[in-house]
Amino acid sequence: MSPELASAQQIADELLEMPEASAVSLQMSVDNYLDVIRGVVDLFANKKKMDTIYVTATISSEAIKRVLEALDIDSERVFFVDCISHIMMGASTAAQDEKTTLVESPTMLENLMLKVEYLIRRSQSEGKVVVIDSINSLAIHNNNWILSELLHILVSGLRSRDAYTVILTVEEHSTPDISNMVNLVCDHGIHAGKLREG
Amino acid sequence: MPLKPGDRERCATGVEGLDTILYGGIPRTNTVLLTGSCGTGKTSLALEFLIHGAIRGENSLFISVTENSEKLLANIIPYRFFDRTLVRSGRLVFVDMPIMYERLGLTKPDLSMEEIDLLVSALASLAKELGSKRLVIDSITSVCYKLKTSEKIRDFILKLSKALSDLGCTSILVGEVPADSTSYSSFGVEEAIADGIVLMANMERRGDLLRTLQVIKMRGTMHSRAKYVLDLTPMGVLLVPLLKGGSTQ
Repeated sequence: MSPELASAQQIADELLEMPEASAVSLQMSVDNYLDVIRGVVDLFANKKKMDTIYVTATISSEAIKRVLEALDIDSERVFFVDCISHIMMGASTAAQDEKTTLVESPTMLENLMLKVEYLIRRSQSEGKVVVIDSINSLAIHNNNWILSELLHILVSGLRSRDAYTVILTVEEHSTPDISNMVNLVCDHGIHAGKLREG
Repeated sequence: MPLKPGDRERCATGVEGLDTILYGGIPRTNTVLLTGSCGTGKTSLALEFLIHGAIRGENSLFISVTENSEKLLANIIPYRFFDRTLVRSGRLVFVDMPIMYERLGLTKPDLSMEEIDLLVSALASLAKELGSKRLVIDSITSVCYKLKTSEKIRDFILKLSKALSDLGCTSILVGEVPADSTSYSSFGVEEAIADGIVLMANMERRGDLLRTLQVIKMRGTMHSRAKYVLDLTPMGVLLVPLLKGGSTQ
């Protein structure tokens, strides 16, 4: 990988090498957030034809849908668990529908797990991937103890169902505690941020 | 889950999480008190137990005490697995208790011991006639209001449990308790007689209200005693463990 920020294609290529049902930590920079979304969604939802459950705690599902549309990425197989729109109190137009499930607050981590479970059960697709966007946004609202517990239970459950997990980490907002928490549950790490030299 | 020698046969509730908690399901012929305050999902869980039974070919009977069964069916969660032919074929039967009271002439607000025997006998006859293997009374608390004393409530539940158990029927009695109650039942008797207690509650955590489920007791099986968070979805009741977050409380 070049010392510059990883492109959507490079991210997709690295993800493609991951064995099935892997849990992957994807460390990115705020500057290539859109490339990461593009790389992950396009690879799993379109190239691999997997139902993609996108847990968003950073920006609203409506905003991500607009991004995907602007990038000309088909979102037919993308289902959102939106943890942020409800607490925006009308500032987001995201509404509950077949493709979008709202969680009242990013502090309701059990409900996040329940909505993921619901979508996994409802899915007819053979392969499934759950994208957590991002652990840093969830860390704004929750302490590390409860987040560690969430990741442990969620990732173990998804692994037993042969589903991929991709946990997005924003390197500018990360701490050693958050990195350790993610590394503990993930099998692989992809660094798509500003690569350290040497 | 395969049964070991000596294990009691199970009546799988069909709620995957609950069957895991109970190591396969409710021991067959048990009478379980499903208790909690309003809005905790008791009726939905009880209905799902019956629907899964009916799908498996077990005749199932719902006795509605507080709500007209037509209204109940109209408000049912649009379960993806619920097929109205189960009702039309008689596999899943709804009976309104007020109609039974009227037919039996039990219109007084306070039933005598003889009338309690009559009611137990009528319920058992109905379950026998329909070949019911699963039964729900929603709610037993409303029936108990007609019995007034602890002795009568004890007598009624004991006789009913025995009669249903003798028919090979696994039963859920839905109980109602106030939100701030520390007891598992309104009259303090139901919980002592039931073979099992499943407690549903609303739990507040940092301003969030979570629906929870906990199996307090279940005769005839090991079970988890941990608290779980639940969601009522078109795929049925889903359960996940309550996250503790390092809490010592």
